[in-house]
Amino acid sequence: MIDVLIVLAVISAFYMAWNIGANDAANSMATSYGSRALSLRQIIIVAAILEFLGAALFGKNVVKTIAKGIVPIELLDPHLLIYGAVAALLSAGLWITIATYLHLPISTTHSIVGAMLGFGIAAVSQGHLSLNAIKWDELIKIMLSWLISPLAGAVLAFSIFSLIRFILFRKFHYEKVERVFRYLQVFTACYVAFAHGSNDVANAVAPIAVIFGHTAGGYYEIPREILAFGGLGIAIGIATWGYRVIKMVGERITQLTYTRGFSAEFATATTVLFASAIGMPISTTHTLVGSVIGVGLAGGLAGVNLDVIQRIIFSWILTLPISMLLSIGIYTILVVFV
Amino acid sequence: MKFFRSVGQVFGYSPFPTLVKHAVLCGRAVGILQKQFEAYENEDFDLVEKYREEIDELESQADELKEEVRTHVTRSMILPIDRQDLLEFLRAQDEIINNCEHVGHMLTFRKVKLGVNIAGEFKILLSKIMECVNEYERMVEHISTLIETSFDRKEVQAVLEIIQEVESLEHECDQSQLKLHTMLFNSDALNPLDVYLMVTWVVHLGYIANAASRAADRFRLMILGR
Repeated sequence: MIDVLIVLAVISAFYMAWNIGANDAANSMATSYGSRALSLRQIIIVAAILEFLGAALFGKNVVKTIAKGIVPIELLDPHLLIYGAVAALLSAGLWITIATYLHLPISTTHSIVGAMLGFGIAAVSQGHLSLNAIKWDELIKIMLSWLISPLAGAVLAFSIFSLIRFILFRKFHYEKVERVFRYLQVFTACYVAFAHGSNDVANAVAPIAVIFGHTAGGYYEIPREILAFGGLGIAIGIATWGYRVIKMVGERITQLTYTRGFSAEFATATTVLFASAIGMPISTTHTLVGSVIGVGLAGGLAGVNLDVIQRIIFSWILTLPISMLLSIGIYTILVVFV
Repeated sequence: MKFFRSVGQVFGYSPFPTLVKHAVLCGRAVGILQKQFEAYENEDFDLVEKYREEIDELESQADELKEEVRTHVTRSMILPIDRQDLLEFLRAQDEIINNCEHVGHMLTFRKVKLGVNIAGEFKILLSKIMECVNEYERMVEHISTLIETSFDRKEVQAVLEIIQEVESLEHECDQSQLKLHTMLFNSDALNPLDVYLMVTWVVHLGYIANAASRAADRFRLMILGR
């Protein structure tokens, strides 16, 4: 039965990774398509390769945070960890599927953090952990990073575009500047894909790192194969479904010139990569929204719609409790019946 | 497509292409007004009526564009210019085509036999108005460059020069109106009702050029008031 659960965990992790590639990675890459810096084909190739590299080479810190930063897994029995991992993955995966169907701009990061917290609370309720053992301070740090990251994206993007506007546009003809930034945007497209892979791979594979890290003894070292597995899932998600999302979102983005695309992408990727370095699981798409607003505030865009902020906050508030409750439910069922 | 999550809505509605479309309609209305006047001079009153309908149609299209902008440009949007300035400008621009519509109607009120001299002066006035509105259209079309350069000083300067050109063309229209008024009020042999109608045309033709000049001034406030 345990083997079945492990297989189930691996399959759900792959499904999560696929989803991250199909939707989140695609949303991040859509700006490159919107400004026509790269063709759809080029974007798919760039995104698949760099998401994989970001995940495999730079994903470890965020995986550690989600795997052992919220629930003190070292205090739990390995069997319970397998139940917990399965519960977290199934509930996050289920909520993401529902939200995707309803077109809610939720974050996979928020879903998995809520689900891991649900697992922790379920363990507390069954007396396997004390409530104080849950790492609340770490959780508050994570939630704070969700607020700070879009703001950081906005400030960075505002500054970058203002520099372009007040230095480069004044000194050179704007068409020349745009032409140069077309090539620079190829670089930022790679940068975004790498950063996204490094931060979001954890949303899929951190729960299986909980299982394998522990059974291998000394989970502080996360097996590289797990990161590569997540990276592969993301790449497959982009190639099999993400291209449609890139096309659809990108076609709506007509006001984005190369300089604007560069500013938004550079700000997003820098914020996300920094978060990956310090192990903070943040939402790339929410950071991107912040960055686009930053470019808008710097006078770079013809029309930025702030209504999306309300929708994001709404789905933010929904995601944490829903994925948490789902996770508590699934974990309890597994403990009681399996 | 059912399965997607997106934050693409953050890229909102851009009102600027619609502003340009609206200005293009204004230019076309003046063009039709010229043709309508020629038909009037040739006493082809069915054609005069047909052109009236065409201008009415353009005016209602322009109203739709105006409504489109007014419904989409909400307070929750970040625009590169002030929202209120934008709406004021559009209101001013809309007066150009509204006045075209008025003159189009006035040409159907009564059948007047135009003398060669008077008809010639009217055609001069109309071509001056056309010139003024063409220049005006060129000004509005610059909005895309202004947006792309985020209102770079050089581009703003170039547009300010066009605005001055619109204003000086409006002044030429005034001169032409003055001449026509003098001519009409000294045509003692003409039927006073005919004179009265033609004076009304002159006054309202003047409103078209005035509207273009006023909208150009609003445009200036909009691009500088940032």
